[in-house]
Amino acid sequence: MSEQLPAPDFDSQSYERPNQKWICGHAAEGKPCRLGPDQGGHCRASSECAPVLEIKPGETKGRWRCTRPGGACETGPLPDGKCGRPISKCSPVATLRTRRGQLTRGVVAATAAVLLIMLGGPWRGKFINPGKLSTPHSGEAFAKFHAGRNGDQSCGACHTAGALGPSGMIFAALHSSPGPFAIKELIEAKAGEMTALDESCQKCHTSHLLHQANVARNISCSFCHQEHRGAGPIAAPTDGHCTLCHGNAETMLASSKIVAASPGGSGIARNFAADHPEFRVQSEKRRDPDTLKFNHVLHLSGETIPKPPNGEKLDCRFCHQPDAAGRYFRSIKFENHCQACHSLQFDPETPDLSLPHGNPDFVSAFLHSLPRQYADFAARSGMARPAEQNQFAQEKLQRLQARVGTGEDFEKRVFFSTATSGPETQVGTVRGAMHALYPGCAYCHEVKADDGGKAHITKPLMMDRWLAHAEFNHAKHSGLSCSQCHQAEKSQMTSDIILPAKQTCAACHSPRGGVADSCATCHIYHTGRTGRFARLKANGQVDAAAGVEPVVIGH
Amino acid sequence: MKRFHRQFLLGSFLLLLASTGAVMAHRRWSRALPDYGYLTGWVLLGAIILLAVYNARKKLPFLPLGSSESWLQIHIYAGFFTVVLFLIHLNFRVPTGWFEGTLAWLYLLVTGSGVAGLILSRVLPRRLATRGGEVIYERIPALRHSLRQEAEALALGGEMKSPAIAEFYARQLSGFLAGPGNFWPHLLESRRPLNAIMTELEEFRRYLNESERATLEKLRDIVRRKDGLDYHHALQRTLKLWLFVHLPLTYSLMMFSLLHVVLVFAFSAGTR
Repeated sequence: MSEQLPAPDFDSQSYERPNQKWICGHAAEGKPCRLGPDQGGHCRASSECAPVLEIKPGETKGRWRCTRPGGACETGPLPDGKCGRPISKCSPVATLRTRRGQLTRGVVAATAAVLLIMLGGPWRGKFINPGKLSTPHSGEAFAKFHAGRNGDQSCGACHTAGALGPSGMIFAALHSSPGPFAIKELIEAKAGEMTALDESCQKCHTSHLLHQANVARNISCSFCHQEHRGAGPIAAPTDGHCTLCHGNAETMLASSKIVAASPGGSGIARNFAADHPEFRVQSEKRRDPDTLKFNHVLHLSGETIPKPPNGEKLDCRFCHQPDAAGRYFRSIKFENHCQACHSLQFDPETPDLSLPHGNPDFVSAFLHSLPRQYADFAARSGMARPAEQNQFAQEKLQRLQARVGTGEDFEKRVFFSTATSGPETQVGTVRGAMHALYPGCAYCHEVKADDGGKAHITKPLMMDRWLAHAEFNHAKHSGLSCSQCHQAEKSQMTSDIILPAKQTCAACHSPRGGVADSCATCHIYHTGRTGRFARLKANGQVDAAAGVEPVVIGH
Repeated sequence: MKRFHRQFLLGSFLLLLASTGAVMAHRRWSRALPDYGYLTGWVLLGAIILLAVYNARKKLPFLPLGSSESWLQIHIYAGFFTVVLFLIHLNFRVPTGWFEGTLAWLYLLVTGSGVAGLILSRVLPRRLATRGGEVIYERIPALRHSLRQEAEALALGGEMKSPAIAEFYARQLSGFLAGPGNFWPHLLESRRPLNAIMTELEEFRRYLNESERATLEKLRDIVRRKDGLDYHHALQRTLKLWLFVHLPLTYSLMMFSLLHVVLVFAFSAGTR
């Protein structure tokens, strides 16, 4: 069956017209009529010819003559002049070209209908919306907030054209700036220039000074914030947005003249690994101002460090516990992280009786009322009779005085002692310690005496975050050990700020490391009057007067 | 080197050159020009209009606008180039939203049908030439009718009329000869339907005498020619049908594109 088929024979006198719209219904039988259908697809068949009346000289009636192409027929015209061979009518068939045209017109009509319905109906906003708005600009909270402004929560809230009909949209398009046909202006437009749409943004975001105070010129909101990119937080600006200023020496120089001591100065930063400045904590060799005495090396590797209640070796995780989101760590608290080892048990014979923590006045009051404290302890221990309780208290006081001398001496020791080894090798329930677990407040705290000899303890200033302009997520870095970034095993002083240097971060956050290294990965933009940093400041969570700027106080 | 290959190499080279230039320009200017999206949009719309003009050019053969073949070559390679422009205009992201999504789908359907048409117009004519039996598509119904009449004359009204052949014709062949058939098998180059009929004819042959066998041979030849007509009908129809997708959707695409221009400028940052 692989042989070629011969071309079928066909009447060479007959031919197809490529542009004809309709073909005779008899064509499928090989007998198309000579006239064929008209342009409208109507059959024009009547008879094989149109007879002609010929009247010869001298004749009165004349004679009908057959005019059939190809020769007169045998029967000839009828006496009344009609052709004697009528052709049966057919149903003309549309050519593929005609059907294609019909389909095209149908599709065009359907498209126009769909567009008119969608643009004219209540679905218009949803239909032309190029993408969901960010969560801050949508949802119930936004609607409630916006209802108090101008009430319009549809497209028209930001876009004037959103409240117009089709002709209004065309008018708005033609009068946009730059206009549709202003190709030169479209090419020469300057990045970040304020636009008419910014007026809509500023109806709610009333101040445009959202960044540092040293911004050389206002940047259009929509330059950085691309809306209609889906729900959730508004899309983060790209590096291109940041380097518009931070990658331009001229702009940064102008910026530095506005506020000379601006963070970052006039430096150019286009790429984190290449030219981003070292963190100022590192480059300016800043020190932790906290007065609490803490030695990371000792706690992590000291031989005298007992095991915490969980029985495991003391490590970073015992004190640095992640918050609910895992981004940062919960604040260090004495009760949660220190007390297990650093108990406030002052009397080895009465380990269940401890000094209060948190307020030196309470400690002083406790010491001044020791007989009462011992008596209350006796009552809590099951001694019902007051005489029995008082006797218990007296015996305890006598034995304590035998060890510590007068009450005044004891109070001084409690507050001011910095002894690293005490007379006892075991305090309370904790065994194996080489020295007293509670040598005195000054062992950990800065304790100062006033002129009257009264102890004052400097409140510890525990830093939750050192880089308050930046975002960090510890949970995303859980694949790394703490010591890969934080050199805690080398830190003996509280003043050591054991943040990693930039190069440590750039080992991963760089094109070579393969991890995101865009500006927005770490930085918050709106740090000025109305941004997140300002909100932190307003809430008392930011303190710029602590010698380092900014810091977040432990809470 | 044949002319076709010269055209192919030249077109491919120019397409590669233009695409590389467009991507390089995108990397250079996409961040530098704030209104870059509008500019790429105009370029893309211009390219689409150029593609659409090809259809108009075909309707105006009397105008000295270059040969239709040249226009077709421009249409093909410019069509591929618009894919690059389309991706650049989208900034290589998937569009969201009903309107923009529909516009993108329309573009993909028009482009996809165009590519399909290009492939079909390269593959099917070769298959038709290999099979032989060259015939003009519009003549196929008449030829099929002629074959049917020929077969009926043989089976039903021959000089040596055979009831067995008449019954066999009515049962097995009349339906096959009545109209076009086996569209998909022919398109997929399957001979199974023809082989099935041929097997029926062969099995029927042993019950016939000499004169009936001669008639059956003629019927077998008619069946083969009818199958050839069906083959031409299927392939030539396919060569024409892809335009039923490509052309109507092109008009829809143009309408959506023009509305897109209005919307992006009406809702642009420069409009209040």
